[in-house]
Parts: sequence; C-alpha cells; structure tokens
Amino acid sequence: MKKILTLLVSVLCTISVYGQSSLGYSRVNTVTKVGDTLVVKYQYSKGTDSNGNAMPDATLYQFDIQYNNKLLELLENQWIPQSTSAQKAVNTWNGYKFTIDSEKDQTDFDGQYLSWLSGNSSYETNSDWSVQRVTYQDVNSLESGDEFMKIRYKIKDKANTNYSDYTNIINANWANYKESDGTQIDVDGTSTLSLSNIQGGDAGNVSLSVSSNIITNNIGDGSDFSYTIYTKGDTQTPLASGNFDAAGDATITGLENDVEYDAYISIDSSKEYLDNVVTVSDLALVFAEAIGAGDGPNGISTTFDYYLQSILANVVGTSIPNGGDINFQDSYEILAYLQGVTTNSTTYISQTGQALNISGIKTTFGDEVNGIATVSPTFKPTDLNKSFNFAHTLAGDVNFSHGFEPTSENADIPTSAQSNTTQRSMMARGAKLNPETANLDLTSELKDGLVEFTIGSEVEEMIGAQFNIIYDRTRLVLDDVIFDTGNTMTNFSNHIEESGKINIGSFDQNFEATVKTGTPYKLIFTPTVELQNTSGLITFKVNEGVKADGTQIKFIMN
Amino acid sequence: MKKVLIIVSTFLLIGCVSDDDILSPIDNNIVDVPESLVIDDLKGIKVESTIVTDEVKMNIKLPYTGVYRVKIRDISKELISQEKLEANEGDNILKVYVSSLKNNGYTLELTDDNHDIIGITSIVVNN
Repeated sequence: MKKILTLLVSVLCTISVYGQSSLGYSRVNTVTKVGDTLVVKYQYSKGTDSNGNAMPDATLYQFDIQYNNKLLELLENQWIPQSTSAQKAVNTWNGYKFTIDSEKDQTDFDGQYLSWLSGNSSYETNSDWSVQRVTYQDVNSLESGDEFMKIRYKIKDKANTNYSDYTNIINANWANYKESDGTQIDVDGTSTLSLSNIQGGDAGNVSLSVSSNIITNNIGDGSDFSYTIYTKGDTQTPLASGNFDAAGDATITGLENDVEYDAYISIDSSKEYLDNVVTVSDLALVFAEAIGAGDGPNGISTTFDYYLQSILANVVGTSIPNGGDINFQDSYEILAYLQGVTTNSTTYISQTGQALNISGIKTTFGDEVNGIATVSPTFKPTDLNKSFNFAHTLAGDVNFSHGFEPTSENADIPTSAQSNTTQRSMMARGAKLNPETANLDLTSELKDGLVEFTIGSEVEEMIGAQFNIIYDRTRLVLDDVIFDTGNTMTNFSNHIEESGKINIGSFDQNFEATVKTGTPYKLIFTPTVELQNTSGLITFKVNEGVKADGTQIKFIMN
Repeated sequence: MKKVLIIVSTFLLIGCVSDDDILSPIDNNIVDVPESLVIDDLKGIKVESTIVTDEVKMNIKLPYTGVYRVKIRDISKELISQEKLEANEGDNILKVYVSSLKNNGYTLELTDDNHDIIGITSIVVNN
C-alpha cells in the first residue's frame, strides 16, 4: 500500500500541462458478416503543446483494452514495431470489465489510469468481456502515427447472446505513457469501436406457416403439409425439411440470418380428399374460360378473377409461361377426368397419388408479372423478421376449394380485362369464389331387396352438379346409375369399384340448360348380404353444384 | 238343463278373464331387445357399443309406425350419410354399417321424415 501511495504521489507530482497524445484504434478492413475477421489497429499519436511544439517522447507505452468476448473471438495479436531493443508484453484476462471513474471522461485515458491506481476505477467480474494489457517499452520512442499492434478478431454470432447488435464491442480503458524520466503524458483517444450491418449468423427459430382452404375448411389439417428448404436458386440439396403441425405452423432451426432461402410446400399426396380437388365447379370455370366471352376493352377477355387461375386451369398442353392458353383441351381433359376416362395426355390434375403443389409467399401469392401469375418461394430471415407465411394450392383447383385464394391486389385481374358476364372484381379478394348454399336430400333406402340411393333436388339454375359417393363394397354391388337431369345435360359417372367410389354429375357445356329438379340421380345397389336397413352403407362428401357464372353451390343437407 | 249348464259355464269362464285382457291391443311388434339396447323412454336411439368396427346393432324406439331417418353426421355436424326407412312403433333392432366410414367420431341422429329429432347418440368408428 505504501508503494502504491508513493507511486501515486510521484505520478501526480510529475503531471504537467501538456497537449494530449493519444491512443487510437480503428478497424483496418471491412467486415459484413458473422465469421469475418475483424482487424483492429492500435496506434500511437504524438500530441503537441499550445505552441504547436511536439510533446516529449515516451519510452513506455502501456494501455488496457477490453473486447466483448461474446461477439468477438480473439485470433491473433501482431506487434508492428520492429525495434530489436523493445520489450513487449500482452496480458489477457477473461471475465473482467472495466468500470471507469465517472468523475473523469472515459477518453481521459491517463486520468482513468491514475484513478485505477488509486482505486477510483476498477475491474469487475463480467463473463462477457476480456481485458488485454499491452505494454511496450524501448529506449527509442515511437514516431507519431506508428502502430503498436494489429489484433485480429473473429466476429461471432450474436444469436443466443444478450446482445442485439455489434455496438460498443471494443473499448480502451486507460493508457499509461511515460517519458524516460517517468513523467506521465496526457493521453486521450477513441472511446469505443462498434460495428454495424453485420449479417449472417444463426437465425435461431424461424417460423413458417402455410395457408390453404384445406386447413381453413377442415378438409384436412396443417400436418398434411410438409416443407423443404433450399438455398435460393438450388433445388438439389435440401437444407431442411419437415412437417407443419396441425395448425399449419413449423419452426425451423439451422438457418442463417440475411441469407435467402427457397421454401417449397407439399401436401401428402396419399390423402383421399385430393380426389375432391377438381370437380364440376372447376370444370365450369375452365369451360367458361375456354369459350371466352368476347373482347374486353384491351382486346383480351377473361372469365377468371385471378391471374393464378390461368396456371391452375392449364391442365394439359403448353404451359402458360411458354405461350400456352386455356382452351377446350383443358376443359375436356377435366371432363374426362370426372368421367373416369383415361386419355393419352399428360395432365396436371391434382388427385390422390398426384399432388401438384404450387406454393409461395402468401402476400405476393399469384402476383402478376408481365401478364403471368407468379409465386415466390424466397424468404430471408433477419434480426427483425423470422416469421414467413406461405400459401399453397394445387394444379387443377381453379376455384381454390383446396387451395389459398389470393389476397394480393396484384393477383387480381382488373375488371377491364374481364368478361362482363362473370365479373366478380367488386367482391373482396380472397372471397370471390365463395360458394352459395342450397338444400338437398340424399337418402339411402331398402326397397324390394335392393338399396336405392336417391338425390332429391329442388335447386334451380344449376348448369352442373357433382356428387362423390362412397359405398360399402363388402355388402353392396352397384347395379345401375339412373339420370333424370334433363335432355341436354352431359351426365357423367366415374365408378372406381376397387375402392367403392362413384362420382356422378352433370354439366351443360353451353351454360344454358340446368339440372332438372326432382330426383335427378339415383343409384341402385344389390346387397351381397342380408340387410334389414342401410344406415352407413352409403356416404357422401363432395356435393356441389355450379351456376352459369361459375359460382359454386355448396349443398346443405338437413 | 244341459243348455242352461253350458250357458252358465260360459259366463263363469268369461268372468275369470280380467278387463285388461279384453281391452289391451294386440302388440304386433314383439321384438326381442337385448339388454344392452333397452331404451327406457318411449322413444330414442341406442347402439350396442359406442366403439364400432364394421357394424353395430342399434335400437330405434319409435312412438308410432311411420317413415323415419337415421342420419350420420361428422364432427362439424355435416351430414355424410342418411337412411330413410319405414319402421314400427316400439323397438326396432337394426344395424349401422361403418366400413365405408373413416376412423373418427360421428353422431347418429334419429328423426322423423320432417327432420324433427327423436334421439341422438354417438359412435366412434375404429375399423
């Protein structure tokens, strides 16, 4: 203690009024991302007095610096002076941080040094910081501008730290420059070093969600969907993949901040409800588009509400981006599909076992670019945004019954380009294809030893209707399908015997005739076992009609 | 005398028959109802087992002979199957066939032909 006091008195007595020398430190290179090497130079600058005369030379240069060890990893200390007579030392202590003497400026480095000696400033334990003491002593003084050393640090990821950015990551604590006779030299300098715009690093938990009417309308749930993530532009090497939860949410780890990724959303193609994706309502929309409705003001007319429908409806032939068009081939392929007729064409009609997925960022889903609908798979986690909402739909699902109906303004086909007969542009985006409802009576009945399934309808204005029916094939054999829909309707029935399914319906390609009311459809089954009644033997899921303007009619049964 | 005795005997025999025996209607719907399907109320629907594989017996007990409907609804109460049948007053032992239903919970609803509900029960399909 006596020594310290003696030293303190000695130091205080030797302080004179000089201009400030300085300890400078600044980064040498440009760093932009986590993992980059930051090079910081520590530099001596010789001060001048009030007359502009150079300050006395120093022979002892000593200073303490500290760096945030959560954000920087010390790689290397590199001495710059080449003097062979110099004595050099660097000491390091981890887990300490300097608490300055608040009575003095932080950059009053010699003052802080004296305060540290006297106990008015101190080092406190702090696991986030490391302290280095640099000591250089030589008979020959350094020239102003000479560098003491360069220190290399690796920029660490701030994820899982208590820091949200890279400000104030290096400080100088104090400096002790002395002349050869021990005279203390005033020193000031840089208070702190910060970095900004450092990108990359573990993005932590990144949230993806998927939107689809499959989830919204409880056709299935979010766990039916999965995601695959690639580096942007790559489709070969998945970086991550997994399933969404029932709500359609997923949490992904292992991604980096400020890196662009592509996410592709898929649905489990084994789901039986995929056989209900493309129905007579989609057929009506495609037929209407194929027929066209005359020229619009810009010479082009469409019956669609969204640009994306052109992609979804183009179930066969040249793709829309490559100059394809919606034509009768598309509509007849859908009709053939509903009838269970196999064609030689390669079709893009989503069904069980063949899910043709289309997904992209929800807010821009189906946005028009150069007349073509687009979807974007790209997302970029950043410090400020780690949640991304995706939308999903399926090829062939022109009315979005099993997909996400676009909500972006840019996905909307303007009224000026639409047919006058089908304009729904005044309706809210995302709800233009909402179905109307109507009552219907579907019953099974045991009659004269046969099981009759009848569809009773008093619904008018239907130019099409479809019913997807499942029967107990262990007890029933389908004998007959009886249509009484009117003379000009095109009726279809698609019987998939091995799975006990039959899809029946009608459609008027001229959009004029309507399905006759009464009992337009009747199925006759022969029981293969003795039956007293028929409860549960025949079930139905898809029951829908369509009006001439393409509006879907959702049947409600009491 | 012989005629008088025959007439007296006839009156005596009639006198041994209770009034109830004479006034009760004849029950044409005599059904052997298993204990598990007994419905104490005058009307309703009951299944032999809530968890069903392939098929299950049910009893629909009706207030009068007529046309009724047995409806199967899914979790959202959407109708997915409906039988229309003529059934007798009292107990009617029938079946519900579930092999074409997905494993799930369903509601069985008994209504008259005007869709007025008579009874409701639930089943869980576990094929």
